[in-house]
Amino acid sequence: MANAVLGYKQSTFPTKLVIISLIGLLIFAVLPFVLGTFQLSFLSKLMLFGTLAVSLDLVWGFTGILSFAHGVFFTLGGYASAYYLKLNLSAAANTYGVDIPDFMVWNGLEVLPWFIAPLKYFPIALLATVAVPALFAYIIGYFIFRSKVSGVYITIITLAIASALTTFFVSQQAYTGGTNGITDVSSLSFFGSEIPPIGLYFIILAYAAFVLALSWWLTQSNFGLVLRSINENEKRIAFLGYDVAQYKIFIWTLSAAMAGMAGGLFVPLNRFISPVYLAVAFGTQVVIWVAIGGRGTLIGPFIAAILLGQFQNYADRVTQDWQLIVGILLLVVVLFIPNGLMSLLPERFSLANLSKPTRISPRAPSEQKS
Amino acid sequence: MLDFSLTSMLSSLFLLAEEAAPAAEGISWIALLNQALNGIGIVGILLLTGLGLAITFGVMRIINLAHGEFIMLGAYVTFVMQDFFKMDLLMTIPFAFIGTALIGAIVELTIIRRLYGRPLETLLATWGLSIVLQGVVKLIFTAELKYVRAPSYLSGNLSFLTNEAGTSPIAISYYRLFIIAVALALLALTMFLFYGTSWGRQIRAVTQNREMAKCLGVNTKLIDMGTFAYGCGLAGVAGAVISALKTVAPPMGQDYLVDAWMVVVTGGVDKLIGILAGSFLIGESNAIIAFMLNDPLARVIVLAAVIVLIRYRPEGLFTVQKRA
Repeated sequence: MANAVLGYKQSTFPTKLVIISLIGLLIFAVLPFVLGTFQLSFLSKLMLFGTLAVSLDLVWGFTGILSFAHGVFFTLGGYASAYYLKLNLSAAANTYGVDIPDFMVWNGLEVLPWFIAPLKYFPIALLATVAVPALFAYIIGYFIFRSKVSGVYITIITLAIASALTTFFVSQQAYTGGTNGITDVSSLSFFGSEIPPIGLYFIILAYAAFVLALSWWLTQSNFGLVLRSINENEKRIAFLGYDVAQYKIFIWTLSAAMAGMAGGLFVPLNRFISPVYLAVAFGTQVVIWVAIGGRGTLIGPFIAAILLGQFQNYADRVTQDWQLIVGILLLVVVLFIPNGLMSLLPERFSLANLSKPTRISPRAPSEQKS
Repeated sequence: MLDFSLTSMLSSLFLLAEEAAPAAEGISWIALLNQALNGIGIVGILLLTGLGLAITFGVMRIINLAHGEFIMLGAYVTFVMQDFFKMDLLMTIPFAFIGTALIGAIVELTIIRRLYGRPLETLLATWGLSIVLQGVVKLIFTAELKYVRAPSYLSGNLSFLTNEAGTSPIAISYYRLFIIAVALALLALTMFLFYGTSWGRQIRAVTQNREMAKCLGVNTKLIDMGTFAYGCGLAGVAGAVISALKTVAPPMGQDYLVDAWMVVVTGGVDKLIGILAGSFLIGESNAIIAFMLNDPLARVIVLAAVIVLIRYRPEGLFTVQKRA
């Protein structure tokens, strides 16, 4: 971004950011050898929530579209992966043989529905984990961004989508397992051998790192610049000849795909998926992570999701009312720290600053004065 | 093994529908009428819950996601009044109004006031508020379900037809009629306040041109606070009336939030009367689709229809098109 605007000739390699990220990655790579089994899977879970928060940050923090439907994309990916794992249960573990999952039998289905059957095969399931949420998001995005519907109404639409889908999934018990969702799934295996929790941890860590890196690269590119301009002044950027809707649809779909994959990885870890994650409450949880961590900071929501999760884990042992504390925290952040907790860090650790190329020419415009 | 037929796909969508209407002898008109009549009951609840939102969102443009929690607070006020003072449900309604309006005024003073002109921040703050209110109520009353008694003179059904077996296929409970009556009365009262009093004129002046109203000596801050408190008070009345129909619990408000929003968005916020049309449309279509298919599917279809509606007419169905 900076080199395009200011015409730097030097390398745009952000040494500082890379060093900090590598240190962070190293810490996360060492952690599983220190932590117990519970924390290992708990941290994996929180990293997925963090990834989900990063995907929302792309559309909300950078583009200004507040969505309560990111839990929906997450869960759609989750269901795709849950069907795969459920259909690959060994015959011994499945009450009614390998052909059809137990909850379908309970609800009177005799034949595996054609739209679920292909999910037995790994490549198709993997594709569906990303493609189903992405396609769903694309349809919604195409539908709403190509109209004059503005910010707040889009948010209300996402509320309605989350609410409607929850009702739908609960009602289609034979296909989705109803309120219980899909439970007792098999664990993820790789060519016949089961992946241990630590393996899953590293897969998730790799995915989280990939999402963070991709999001960072996207937002620092010219594409990201357009996104931020849309956030700041949509009309003006449209006057400049950019097809605003196209950009919005793209980032919305990409973000849904990221969320979907996170959901897909969530199921082998969590061992079940249910409409709880579709509901408005979970979608709001994601919004809270982003708001508290700091919009447009990428790493902020990621850290917020992990810290709040850990906090909840400890608070749960002491009191049942940790939600109240989260509510107060959210209120305080919105009222007094509108840019989130990341904005409390010193300016030179901000994402924008760290993303700058390291070698700055001697008389570069100084940031200190402004 | 695999069933690729179109029918299986269709039946997957309408599986429950078929179960709901197994007899293919054509629609029973009497049952449909009964369902439509009971839809009126839903309309009453929607109108009650949507009315407060029509004030806070329609008039003040505040995205209030804590609206459901004000309904919940009203229900708890009723519960407390009935439990400790043995009051009749009807008597508790003014207390529910005053109690929630007071809390609404405090909320406006401490939170909403700081966020005018920043809709997304307001949305977040009110969501935080809704969590806090739920948490506080849970602390005071525990998560236990509470029950509120409906007055005995409102029990029973109003029936229109009686068949040989002595049962009446077309009937509506008096309590649902009572809800409708309260809702309509509140709508009329609100319309009178808005279009017939000086306070209402000031509110409209502030929403149309805040600066100008200020110049003309309107105390805009007081008006903001009063209007928000009034909207919250209406939600409290809704809670008081609904409390006898369902159980009272801290998360109860969530059930009404999305529906109230759908009503307001459908009806449009330009005219208060739009809220009546919006709740009638949503309530009745919900009831009739539920009769033909089933309840969850009806909800899904209605929500989808509202989404499509927002897409094409974000200003609502019953708004007069303005010339730019």
